[in-house]
Amino acid sequence: MRPQRKDSITTDAVAAAAPAPFIHVGFTTATLTRDCVLVLLPSLVWGFYCFGIRAALVVLASISSALIGELILDWVARRFSLFDGSAFLTGLLLGLAMPPGVPFYVPCISALFAVIVVKGCFGGIGSNWMNPALGGLVFSLISWPRAMSTWLLPRHLAGVAGISGATPLGFVRDHAAAGSSGTVLEILTGSGINFSETDKNITLFLNETFFAPIGAELPFGYLDLLLGNRSGSIGELSGLLLLIGSVILIARRSIRWEIPLSILISFGLLTRIFGGLPFGEGLFSGDLLFSLFSGSFLLVSFFMATDPVTSPRTKTGRYVYGTGVGILTFLLRTFGSQPEGTAFALLMMNCFTPWIDRHSSWKNRPRQMSEGVVE
Amino acid sequence: MRPLRSFTRGGLSLRLQREWPLELPVRNAFLPVSAVVLLKQHAGSASRCLVSKGEFVREGMLIGKAESIDQSAVHSPIPGIVREIRRIRLPTGGESEAVVIALEGFFDRLGKKQEKFLWSSMARNDVLQTLRDKGVVETDPPGAPLAEVLFRAKGVKLLILNCIESEPWIRTETAALEARAAEVLDGLRIISASTEPGKVIIALDESEPELAKKIENLTALEEKSFECVRLKSRYPQDLPSRLLEAFSPRHQVGQKADSALFVRPSTAIAAYDAIALAKPFIERYVTVGGGVVKRPAVLKVRIGTSIGDLFEECGGFLGNPDRIILGGPFRGLPSYDLDMPVSKTTNAILALSAEETKRGNTVPCIRCGRCKDVCPEGIDPNAIYRRIDRSLIGAAFEFGLRECSICGLCGYVCPSRLPLVERFAAYKSMAETSR
Repeated sequence: MRPQRKDSITTDAVAAAAPAPFIHVGFTTATLTRDCVLVLLPSLVWGFYCFGIRAALVVLASISSALIGELILDWVARRFSLFDGSAFLTGLLLGLAMPPGVPFYVPCISALFAVIVVKGCFGGIGSNWMNPALGGLVFSLISWPRAMSTWLLPRHLAGVAGISGATPLGFVRDHAAAGSSGTVLEILTGSGINFSETDKNITLFLNETFFAPIGAELPFGYLDLLLGNRSGSIGELSGLLLLIGSVILIARRSIRWEIPLSILISFGLLTRIFGGLPFGEGLFSGDLLFSLFSGSFLLVSFFMATDPVTSPRTKTGRYVYGTGVGILTFLLRTFGSQPEGTAFALLMMNCFTPWIDRHSSWKNRPRQMSEGVVE
Repeated sequence: MRPLRSFTRGGLSLRLQREWPLELPVRNAFLPVSAVVLLKQHAGSASRCLVSKGEFVREGMLIGKAESIDQSAVHSPIPGIVREIRRIRLPTGGESEAVVIALEGFFDRLGKKQEKFLWSSMARNDVLQTLRDKGVVETDPPGAPLAEVLFRAKGVKLLILNCIESEPWIRTETAALEARAAEVLDGLRIISASTEPGKVIIALDESEPELAKKIENLTALEEKSFECVRLKSRYPQDLPSRLLEAFSPRHQVGQKADSALFVRPSTAIAAYDAIALAKPFIERYVTVGGGVVKRPAVLKVRIGTSIGDLFEECGGFLGNPDRIILGGPFRGLPSYDLDMPVSKTTNAILALSAEETKRGNTVPCIRCGRCKDVCPEGIDPNAIYRRIDRSLIGAAFEFGLRECSICGLCGYVCPSRLPLVERFAAYKSMAETSR
């Protein structure tokens, strides 16, 4: 049985005599996870719409395995903590990051690994150094690289369900490696990727009414990326839904805005400046919109990077952390062996969190602020 | 218009959180049929009892004699017969002797016209002696005897009349100021004359604009040396260190609060009553509130009235109170029963509903950092808590435990319900007593 620190567990008898403060804001750990789960649900529904029942089953497998893992941990520790929602959130995030066609054992084993090894073995909720969902994702990416890079086209785009198709990110990367040049969207259209009718209609409308008077033109394809009419993992498709969800979380102060913002800025700047080089173009020609809305960038940077347990506690620290994630993501996407690098980038920055915390904590504040009581 | 002043870090705007309106105006509470007068009304030690069982006491008669500088004189709030002298368990811990007086006879002061004494010619020592004799203490916990505070504060740089409510749900000082603004200012003049400060500032709360206007007008007409400053309504603005920070951000952060003298409006009223009306400190304003109280109000209460009587006077309880508190929701003390008497330092009594206390079990910390965001001292409560949890008390002090002002905000926002404030208070006081 896991030894429990006497101090961290407050019994009812102690709580009855608990001193001030006597009121509470009413915000609990369970509220935080519940908020996160709720704003992720639209993305799940969209994934279900695109890939059918199989996508839902993958997520379900992931969630139930995560809950089973939590129950095993609870049984070992003789407690019950299923209702704090953290295992559910881990399972949901992991399931959303899976490709829809993945064999069911992949989400199951990854979720068990995430909850039991990544979270439980390091001391349970609040003590893990790596985000459990992220740990599970990286585990599955390394263990089953083939299964984790086999993608399906949304069924309303392909006409039938189950047609495989590369993700835009992987597609463009393959072509760049093969030596084709031109802008990202030119590569996509040149190779005959299907855009949806919605995209065509709305882009035409936007071009005619808004962009034509100012002499600009929006190419086809971006709206598909924004809305999620593309292949990819179950939950990462629609950047729009993810953005709306994260705005809600930030407004409710469930997550911190510093981390996503600094990821966006550092990654965006690097992409804009150097992103065109692999395609044989000059500096300052990178395709920002494409990079932001393809791959799992938004899902990882808004929902996994903001996990309070594994990110720094100071504002300065969070800027450093986010900037690091952005830079590493760019490097991994450009020079790494796989088209997607956000998860690995975040994993690396998780390792730096204690170091960042130590160097931005109260102890290291300027001396005149500490009123001379330290040392 | 200049932006409103406030402190720089942390804090919360909480004035909208109170869901029960207070009945206005302030009214007098009924006289207690039986008053329980503690001989230890403040954080010092108990004064010597001068009466014995069966003895007849008059209104305002001295019943507890102050024999050292941490004691204060105690007077009988009502005329009557001493029924018994018993020991009472105090919410601050420990016990104190209390004189139980049954109401009988006639009032010497109540309802009679009071003569006003011209105090401006009084010598400083006479003023201090009178304050001592009339048992005037600071009206907020811990509440040192005012005479000793003024004695030490001679020639202080800054005298601040602190009209900011100590906690969001309390309205005691505002009510005192509304009811007796002129007397508060007179009291401030008395205090100012006996300390001769470099500057006098009246710190007002912007959430009471009419009151602030009234005070500003009053001081503008008569006195040139008082400066009125409106401050943002933000907890814990009333703390001395936070007030100093608001008046001169940057320069005085970290300056000892000793360089200024802080006075509450109700303390100023008590001082005025003692000096100008020769009236001992036997009544004060108390906010009676909380989610389960039927008609919350601010009452003018005789010291020694039991809190149960006051709740009853405010319509009683709507349901079972989850907690009974002496003082505010952030820094108050839990009361064991409803027989607890009002003392000179009781500024509020609250009966909180379960919806307000929102009790929950402690769960592991998820390092969300909310405690750090609200901390007005800029320290990291979680870092300190983790070190206390591992018995690394020295390390906890290195992370700024000494800076903690026990304002209670970190515990209020913590989603994991860690007993942060409880631990900080315990280890801080332990370190202070061992030194």
